[in-house]
Amino acid sequence: MQFLQQIINGMTIGSFYALVALGYTMVYGVLKMINFAHGDLFMWGAFLAFTGLHVAGSLTGQAQPWLLGPVFIAVTLVVAGIGVLVERVAYRPLRSAGRLAPIISALGVAFILESLARNIYGPRWLSMPQGFVPSGVLMTYQDVRLSALQLAVLLIAFVLMAGLYVFVQRTRTGVAMRAVALDPLTARLMGIDVDRIIATVFLIGPGLGGAAGMTVGLYYGSFDFTLGWTFGLKAFIAAILGGIGNIPGAMVGGMLLGLIETLASGYLSPQWKDVIAYVILILILMFRPTGLLGERIAEKV
Amino acid sequence: MSKRLVMSILIVFSMLGGLVGCGGSKGTIKIGLQGPMTGDYAYEGQGFRNAVELLVEQTNAAGGINGKKVELIVEDDAGDPTQSALVAQRLVDAGVVAVIGAYNSTATEPASEIYNEAGILHITPSSTAVRLTQKGFKRFFRVCFLDDRQGLFAAKFMKEVLNAKNVGILHDNSTYAQGLAEETRTYAEQMGLNVAFYDAINPNDKDFSPILTRIGAANLDAVYFTGYHSQAGLLLKQSAELGLKVQWIGGNAANNPVMVEIAGVQNAKGMFVTTEPLPQDLNYPEAKKFIADYKAKYGEEPASVWTIMAAEAFNVIRYAMEQTKSTDPAVLADYLHNQFKNVNGLTGPILGFDEKGDRLGTIHVAYVIDENGNFVLYDKQPSP
Amino acid sequence: MTQSPSSRWTSLLTSLRAKPWLWQGAIVIFLLLLPLPLGNYYRTVLWRTGLYVMLGLSLNLIVGYAGLFQLGHAAFFAIGAYTAAILNLRLGMPLLYTFPLAIGMAALLAYLITRPILHLRGDYLAIVTIAFGEVVRLSLVNNLLGITGGANGLSGIARPVLFGLTLRQPIHHYYLLLGFLVLTVIAMQRLEQSRLGRAWMYIREDEVAAEAMGLDTARLKLLAFVLGSGWAGLAGALYAGQLTVISPDMAKFMESVVMFCIVVLGGAGSIPGVVVGALGMVTLPELFRPLKDWRDAWMGLAMVLMMIARPEGLWPSRRIQMELREEEEA
Repeated sequence: MQFLQQIINGMTIGSFYALVALGYTMVYGVLKMINFAHGDLFMWGAFLAFTGLHVAGSLTGQAQPWLLGPVFIAVTLVVAGIGVLVERVAYRPLRSAGRLAPIISALGVAFILESLARNIYGPRWLSMPQGFVPSGVLMTYQDVRLSALQLAVLLIAFVLMAGLYVFVQRTRTGVAMRAVALDPLTARLMGIDVDRIIATVFLIGPGLGGAAGMTVGLYYGSFDFTLGWTFGLKAFIAAILGGIGNIPGAMVGGMLLGLIETLASGYLSPQWKDVIAYVILILILMFRPTGLLGERIAEKV
Repeated sequence: MSKRLVMSILIVFSMLGGLVGCGGSKGTIKIGLQGPMTGDYAYEGQGFRNAVELLVEQTNAAGGINGKKVELIVEDDAGDPTQSALVAQRLVDAGVVAVIGAYNSTATEPASEIYNEAGILHITPSSTAVRLTQKGFKRFFRVCFLDDRQGLFAAKFMKEVLNAKNVGILHDNSTYAQGLAEETRTYAEQMGLNVAFYDAINPNDKDFSPILTRIGAANLDAVYFTGYHSQAGLLLKQSAELGLKVQWIGGNAANNPVMVEIAGVQNAKGMFVTTEPLPQDLNYPEAKKFIADYKAKYGEEPASVWTIMAAEAFNVIRYAMEQTKSTDPAVLADYLHNQFKNVNGLTGPILGFDEKGDRLGTIHVAYVIDENGNFVLYDKQPSP
Repeated sequence: MTQSPSSRWTSLLTSLRAKPWLWQGAIVIFLLLLPLPLGNYYRTVLWRTGLYVMLGLSLNLIVGYAGLFQLGHAAFFAIGAYTAAILNLRLGMPLLYTFPLAIGMAALLAYLITRPILHLRGDYLAIVTIAFGEVVRLSLVNNLLGITGGANGLSGIARPVLFGLTLRQPIHHYYLLLGFLVLTVIAMQRLEQSRLGRAWMYIREDEVAAEAMGLDTARLKLLAFVLGSGWAGLAGALYAGQLTVISPDMAKFMESVVMFCIVVLGGAGSIPGVVVGALGMVTLPELFRPLKDWRDAWMGLAMVLMMIARPEGLWPSRRIQMELREEEEA
């Protein structure tokens, strides 16, 4: 029975990793750059949600669950906006500057975002206002509990992933994105506005990250500014595990990582769970760098 | 090439410019304060500063110590050992005769080496790692109590008050929490308790469902968590969400109201915490006066016992200087070891210091969180 | 005919450049005299700067000369320190004797770790090195094999004893470090100009072409990693002897990032570049403490701006400057 509960635990945290991984994998797929700042964008989603919910709650006098909707949209848009800004200012000038410069720039942006959060909100932990999320258990079966919140999170992750997948596969913008991912020069020759497509990628990717941040923040209830770093790295591992650039891969990778981590925590020791995650990363990159479901980016010959 | 040359010369000059030190003032007693003014423990560091600055102000207003004014030099170590070594060096260079600090044991340790080399009196208000007084430093003291005192107290509490048989101990792999956990385990096993669960989480973890599920299945009467209040809060919350019926006990790193905020009052209710008495429970006239003065100056009462401890450390230094009419660290240290006995302090009577520099006695008590989320003294305490 | 001031200046520089030992000697004398008028605090700051210069030089081998992305360099710094500490604390080995073993351990682990991953392309390599750095740090925290002391770290490490003199004061450590640093710089200069150094540069510029020319790129890259990591191990041992307390924080990612920035922002591939980098990333923040809270933000900003304006760093080696400019025009 403990095992079943651990599976549920694993899938919950797995869906978080998957949510954050989606943004990573999108950006890497199109631009072949590791957006180190993604984890901090995710963290800002949580922080902005904190501010947003407090403001919304005080404006209406009490916490109303329906306020979640508008705040959710607002947070997603703001973080998406930050993403576009970051791309324009810190990444676009470096598009032809080799592989090293974008990594450093991304790290730099990550530090700036983290430092801003720490100085604006303070080093202490923030707690989301009570009353916005449904609490309580959905079903119990012999000590195994699945809460309404957990189910909601799983569904949100799945819906977002499916939506993103459809978007990339079926819509014109999505096709254009894949074209840019494959060969930016030819795409430009074919009349695709590469700059705008890239900006769109940075709208959706970080936007998803922001949404994930708000979701995770509400789920745990409290967090501090270190939220971005660990989640970011784990999500990146999940993206690689599933196959970088591959959207269903992000989902699979996230779930798998969540499960492995949880089972390691539960049956071995929580101390080693991060080590195990990193070792998995190293092994995957050593033996199957394209990930479980395969990469979805072109390799230059 | 010349552009680069100019640039690097500029850099060297700006560095040299920073080297121009500031002069000191003669005829004052220089006392240093080292603590985390920034970083994860900024709240505590600032508490140190508030407390000591208040007392220095009061002391100077009353004519200083032995007729000389006190000059307080405050340095920030951010709780980091390398920073701590650097600021310790700065304080030594500034000519202080005594230092109060640091907050966490990891920072205090390298600093104590430097102060020892320089022969300065060093008192820590809050570093409880046992290792610190095992190096034979003659001028190092602490006004707080060792982890092993608290471990003993926790073990006794679990056995005598809770009548526990199977207990669990959880720490977070940090210097302080790990030490306390080990001390508690030693004493618990000595007393015949079965430590059925002993493990650690990582300091930045946020999701504890795996380990909590395991704890839930282990049938424990009580679990002692020695880590910090933010994670304690998350543990309580997630433990309740998983429907676990575990009796949680926290160590003195958990005695912070933010923990209740994170956990939610209904989930924190009933948790015990072993700690030095909270400021509002210090029933000593000196403490009450200090808290009142603190509130008058800063607008709020000190919430952390470590703030009081910093004040305690300053008072000990002041008292020793007044009694010995000297600021020589050797004389002061000798006095503190041999003649400082039974002086009323803010945290109760200070019985004295042993030859290693540890404060004699113990003042730990158990608190429980009531249904309003407040920390109140529990009516049952273990034998002294 | 009188020379114009600028051409007099140029001919002065030219004659100086022809006799490198002249101004290099001047620098060494300057460094020898520098700490004398300063207090202990500033001497320690100088020491820290020097340590990071050494770390930067060791990373420069990997990132600057061979062009590999190493974002976990601090792990080897820690491995060197812990090896020295454990040998000293458990086996009673005098600290200076532990140095070769510290270097060896760091080099050995570098060999074992990097051998299987060298074929990875740039950014993947970066990720793996980050992961490895964290694995080392967490293993130290979790008290691997019971000898690393956990989060507490290890303390009570003995001071180095040189010819009967116990090195206690900051100035002793400064001179000890300076000695090693001079040796390091000489070694680096030799390497830069040797066949090995040039082979690395070929690999950095165009690996495929280098392979085609017959260079065993895998072995050469491995050599860069092993040498650079061993050197970091030396720095670690020196650190252990100075601070006498070490903790797993030495291996944290931020440390690796600082080292990486020292090399890349200061000027990859060049020795003066590393010095400038160390001054900028270590000395300046230490001396401008009021900036503390925002230090990370300033560092981040510097990183972004430098990459946009001057990706080759402040004082790069000529070759790298050329390489980067060529790439941009391409």
